[in-house]
Amino acid sequence: MVTTRANGASISIDRLEKRFGAVRAVDGVSIDIAAGEFLALLGPSGSGKTTVLMSIAGFDFPSDGRILIDGADCTYTPANHRNLGMVFQRYTLFPHLSVLDNVAFPLKMRGLAKAERHARAAEALATVRLAGYGDRRPAQLSGGQQQRVALARAIVYRPRVLLMDEPLSALDKNLREEMQLEIKRLHSQLGITVVFVTHDQGEALTMADRVAVLKDGRVQQIGPARDLYERPATLFTAGFIGEMNFLPCDAAAVGDTIEVRVGTAGRWTLPAGVAVDPLAPGERALLAIRPERVTLAETGASNVVPARVGDIVYAGAALLVIGTAEDGTELRARLPGAADLRSLKPGDTVGFHFPAEAILLYRAGPAR
Amino acid sequence: MTAAARPRLRFLSSDGRRIGTAATMLLLAPFFALLIFAFLYPLGRLLAVSVLEPTPTIDNYVRVVGNPVYAKVLLRTLWISGLVTLLALVLAYPVAFVMTRVRGVVAAFVTACVLLPFWSSVLARTAAWAVLLQREGVANTLLQWLGITDAPVRLLYTEGAVVVAMTHVLLPFMILPIYGALRNIPPDYMRAAALLGAGRGRAFLEVMLPLSLPGVASGSILVFLTALGFFVTPSLLGSPQEMMIATLISQQIREVLDWPFAAALVGVLTLVVSLIALAFSKAVRFDRLMRAEA
Repeated sequence: MVTTRANGASISIDRLEKRFGAVRAVDGVSIDIAAGEFLALLGPSGSGKTTVLMSIAGFDFPSDGRILIDGADCTYTPANHRNLGMVFQRYTLFPHLSVLDNVAFPLKMRGLAKAERHARAAEALATVRLAGYGDRRPAQLSGGQQQRVALARAIVYRPRVLLMDEPLSALDKNLREEMQLEIKRLHSQLGITVVFVTHDQGEALTMADRVAVLKDGRVQQIGPARDLYERPATLFTAGFIGEMNFLPCDAAAVGDTIEVRVGTAGRWTLPAGVAVDPLAPGERALLAIRPERVTLAETGASNVVPARVGDIVYAGAALLVIGTAEDGTELRARLPGAADLRSLKPGDTVGFHFPAEAILLYRAGPAR
Repeated sequence: MTAAARPRLRFLSSDGRRIGTAATMLLLAPFFALLIFAFLYPLGRLLAVSVLEPTPTIDNYVRVVGNPVYAKVLLRTLWISGLVTLLALVLAYPVAFVMTRVRGVVAAFVTACVLLPFWSSVLARTAAWAVLLQREGVANTLLQWLGITDAPVRLLYTEGAVVVAMTHVLLPFMILPIYGALRNIPPDYMRAAALLGAGRGRAFLEVMLPLSLPGVASGSILVFLTALGFFVTPSLLGSPQEMMIATLISQQIREVLDWPFAAALVGVLTLVVSLIALAFSKAVRFDRLMRAEA
């Protein structure tokens, strides 16, 4: 039965490298994925996330490094011997076969008799809530239905691992959210290991147990969604995941506390824990804070940056105030929608208050 | 709706993508004029001759089908065309497959080789085969050097010569449609098949081959129908005892001067071609269902 708990496999990606001439598409990526885990590979295009997935699938062989599935080295095992399931970005149902035959295809490759493979394919279709659609042609289904059939086809032979290459990117928003839940449900029902590639951070954060953020072929950070959002390990992750204010500053003194000079807003004394990157006195730094942690205050107090209000956008649950600091940095504050700011007008100068416990400090990257 | 709001002659619709009725007719007119005056009208006249001259009769058709000599020519024509189609298919498929898998200079070279025949006339290529296959030609020299025969064998003026040369001439018409069909198969299909457990051979048989069948069908029908009416190659390389129907028609017109009978042969050939084309158009209906994206 498809609904029995198939145990997922653990995957170990060990110092994976993929070079194209002088370009390193993947530059020493190591990730250990536990059996039954849901891992998202998140990154902008060109970050190497797809190459990592293709190496796990066996469509692309790395220049260096190893891939172990359940401890067995299968870096160079052909794709058809890996027993992995995969859902692709584009619809890949075979157009000349019926929906049922598409789902039964992997069973046919494994030599199952027609009656049995059809029975199991029908069962898999029921798992993705498409019972009764078996006789149709793929072209007669909507995009969302086609991806659900692709999902059924990828799980019908109970693979140890399910790979997904941006499977929802072609779907519209509502359908995408529905499919996210569907995939989550299947994951917990089957206990299968899922590796999910996406460039949509919202998708990665909501679906995955852990998210690996990739950039330029390197893992920037890997961890649960909350860790990634609350304390991004690198400047890139801080800017890539969610909204973030960045304010240039200088580290003045480093000790039990850290003292920073924030332009004309004065010297602030912050707990040493805010520094994500180790900072030396005199070093240029970036002060980061999420817009929803910012509050408005009188100017002149500590941890307050005076800014001229540009736009005030009312968005129901939240109120977005966009201001410009004296050095030209744009600052955003997301306040509860109920906040009464009727006295505030564009053009006013107001203090953006950065609570010390919400501040993160990064070493300023090379000038962009 | 007022008359002013709707100009009588519109060449382009407001979105610029569709053209008006008048423009459509104007653009198609030269083509249809040529089709009517240079093809349909003479064909109609010829078919009229076949049943009306010298008096209304169907005797000419009875002769084509009833006389074993002529029936045999018709059957031989179908047989040779079928053989050429099959041979072309066997030769073309691997070439078309390779064309979808090579890049850069190699791709340009293979494509040039496939299209090369289009740059020379059928007559030139047929003459080249005559040179190759003659008694003292390259083919005979090679056969003797290899020790397969002691004396020159007759290669020219045989059915084999006709089949080989026709296959050569018609090969591009088989390669190009198959290439087109193969190129339209997204590479992700083959990846999906592999990951689902299909080895290369299995993936080819179960996915690539079925998806390329529309191309195979178009290529086959193109080659077969063209072969049915082939004249130059069979006339120059074939034996007069083993005629194909086009040669027979030409002979009836130019040597025997029996226009009504020649016209009846044309009528039969036209009927066969039409029936095959009709059967084909019915057969390709199903591949609308096979299109990758709805």
